[in-house]
Amino acid sequence: MSGTRVAVVGAGMTRFMRRAQETGKELAWEAARAALDSCELTLADVDAVCLTSAPDAFDGVHMKGEYLSDGAGGFGKPFIRTYVGGGSGVFTAIQGWYTVASGMFDVALLVAEEKMSSTQPHPQGAFLTIFDNILERPLGPNLLWIFALEMNRYMSAYGLDKRDIASVAVKNKRNAAGHPAALLGQADITVDDVLASEVLAWPVQRLDVSPISDGAVAVVVASEEAAKRITDRPVWIEGVGWNLDTTYWTNRDLVYPEYVENAARMAYDMAGVKEPRRQIHVAEPYDPFDYKELHHLEGLLLFEKGKAPEAARDGVLDREGDLPSCPSGGLLGVGNPIAAAGLMKIAELFWQLRGEAGARQVPGTPERGVAQAWGDLMQVGTVVVMGNDGGPPKTAAGLPVVQTPPYTAGGHPLSDGGFRSALGAVDHRLGARYSWDAGVAVGRFLDGLRAGKILGRECRRCERVLVPPRMFCERCFRETDGWIEVEHTGTVQTYSICHVSWDMQPLDPPEMPAVISIDGSDGGFLHMLGEVDPDGVRIGMDVEAVWKPVGERAGSILDIDHFRPRRQS
Amino acid sequence: MREKVARPDEVRRWPGDFPVAHRYTPGLAGDAFLTALRDRGAILGSRCERCAYTYVPARLFCERCFAELDAGVELGPEGTLVSFTIGFVGLEGEPLDRPVTLGLVRLDGADAVLLHHVLDPGDEPLEIGERVAVVLRAPEERTGSILDILGFALAEAESRLSEA
Repeated sequence: MSGTRVAVVGAGMTRFMRRAQETGKELAWEAARAALDSCELTLADVDAVCLTSAPDAFDGVHMKGEYLSDGAGGFGKPFIRTYVGGGSGVFTAIQGWYTVASGMFDVALLVAEEKMSSTQPHPQGAFLTIFDNILERPLGPNLLWIFALEMNRYMSAYGLDKRDIASVAVKNKRNAAGHPAALLGQADITVDDVLASEVLAWPVQRLDVSPISDGAVAVVVASEEAAKRITDRPVWIEGVGWNLDTTYWTNRDLVYPEYVENAARMAYDMAGVKEPRRQIHVAEPYDPFDYKELHHLEGLLLFEKGKAPEAARDGVLDREGDLPSCPSGGLLGVGNPIAAAGLMKIAELFWQLRGEAGARQVPGTPERGVAQAWGDLMQVGTVVVMGNDGGPPKTAAGLPVVQTPPYTAGGHPLSDGGFRSALGAVDHRLGARYSWDAGVAVGRFLDGLRAGKILGRECRRCERVLVPPRMFCERCFRETDGWIEVEHTGTVQTYSICHVSWDMQPLDPPEMPAVISIDGSDGGFLHMLGEVDPDGVRIGMDVEAVWKPVGERAGSILDIDHFRPRRQS
Repeated sequence: MREKVARPDEVRRWPGDFPVAHRYTPGLAGDAFLTALRDRGAILGSRCERCAYTYVPARLFCERCFAELDAGVELGPEGTLVSFTIGFVGLEGEPLDRPVTLGLVRLDGADAVLLHHVLDPGDEPLEIGERVAVVLRAPEERTGSILDILGFALAEAESRLSEA
């Protein structure tokens, strides 16, 4: 790998809070200042600034990168924001790596901020437009659906016990009890507590999910020469990887995150890691939901497929276990200000590999760790491998060098009442309305639905029939070869029983969204199940489309009213 | 690959929205600024001695050197008009009954400029460099909002108003 070695030399963060009194700029500054203070640098020592923050709609500031630039230290400096959804926080460390490895800059300040509490009535409103506007939005989706659908598929494929998955939430909330910045640390939580929490979208329950939060994290990276000048304990960025799966999420298997594996292999190759399970001593996989940590540990090649849940059950992932995973407490315990939560994982590895993690410190002498985040339409994997060149530094007597606890900035929580009555608060409704074009392929698909047909496009080179159809094949990048009518029948690839609307209002009866694999195609799409009791739905169940009467069809995904169990013909 | 659209009304479209609203709170420095404005009619800024720069409204930190700042400087109430514009159309391009004048004002003691309305400049053409003064809402009408400042008036007119 060309370029200078790059090290993390400082890190800082705010508390993660349900709601911060600080503005986003102020949060960014508190974290950035803490990171610079931790390595005794000033803003004048910073050559370039890399910022990340998830959708603008959370803070409610269009062009949030520019808005946050002063708090991030971007004044008068080369500054840019990157964004890959939930994968953003770890990606910023990758951005920091290439910013410095290029040789252009010696010291870069990396800042990740999120202020989700501004969004009303619920931050999920900002997520709705990640769904396909023509084929999925009309179904009234809820962000929880895609997690519930993926989790159900993962559980079903390997016959997993939900108790084993819930043990991840328990572990992380317990770990977070030792974190001074944590929102949801809880030393005495049990698996039974998780299993007794409210069912949101089966199999996802309230305590399977990380909380929406406000917060910021910052990290300082430096070239080898600068790093050795700044600190005697640099933590090296040994490998980076990132990868994206197809945007047609209903065409993916959902059991295994191949994009994480691809990103991990890229990072491991760069780091010279040949046996991840032996060479990685501490992991910070992305855990917005408990099952995601397990899913990602498998994608990171740290466990065989379907085997991470039993490792969680058996304590292998505990802080004192054989492979500590999310010793920080992760998103489930510390909180999930989206982009900031990802960069928190880089900061945690920095502290762990310096032996500075205090009450959270993993035992032994960890030499190498991996951090990973995931995002976009659950399709991006971002992976960073970090190492300390053979263990935390020791004194001549073999004792750890003086341990300074990580500097954690304040952050001022704001109560619900304080939020409602805040002096000078301003309410604003975005009010943006759109009219989305179906385009060529989906327009024809909708014409087909109106005529009672499900149409796909054939890619002869890849030997695939694409549903939903597209005029080009995203794999071989050729124009697709022609239209094919496929069956009205399919199988339930995965489903959820969803009890809440997108703004978290109760739904009675619950909705049953499902990914339907369409017979005669290599794809499928999101739709609703009906004419079946929730207890009677199974993955792999044969279903058939129930059409609206001809006169009521409008050329819409809703021309199929729902899918029901297939009747014997 | 391209398909000719023979009947534009047949083009498939789906209407939708972005169902988010926001509640913005002013933050630590903003809270100090708005409280002083409401309670004392004072316009607070923040001075960074190292950078020899005074920000307004008050800020928690100096963006130049990252020092922590307090809202320790009271600015104005007079200042200098640095630039202005007169808007004749609204957001949707509709003509306005009364044109709106917005000015950038460097309050006495400040380096940064403040954006606000310029109040009824009358028939006299405004000129950059003119002296202006803050006009506040009556104390009992203030809520802790940037609109507790009604705007800027020409300093002479303001003093005439005050004398009257």
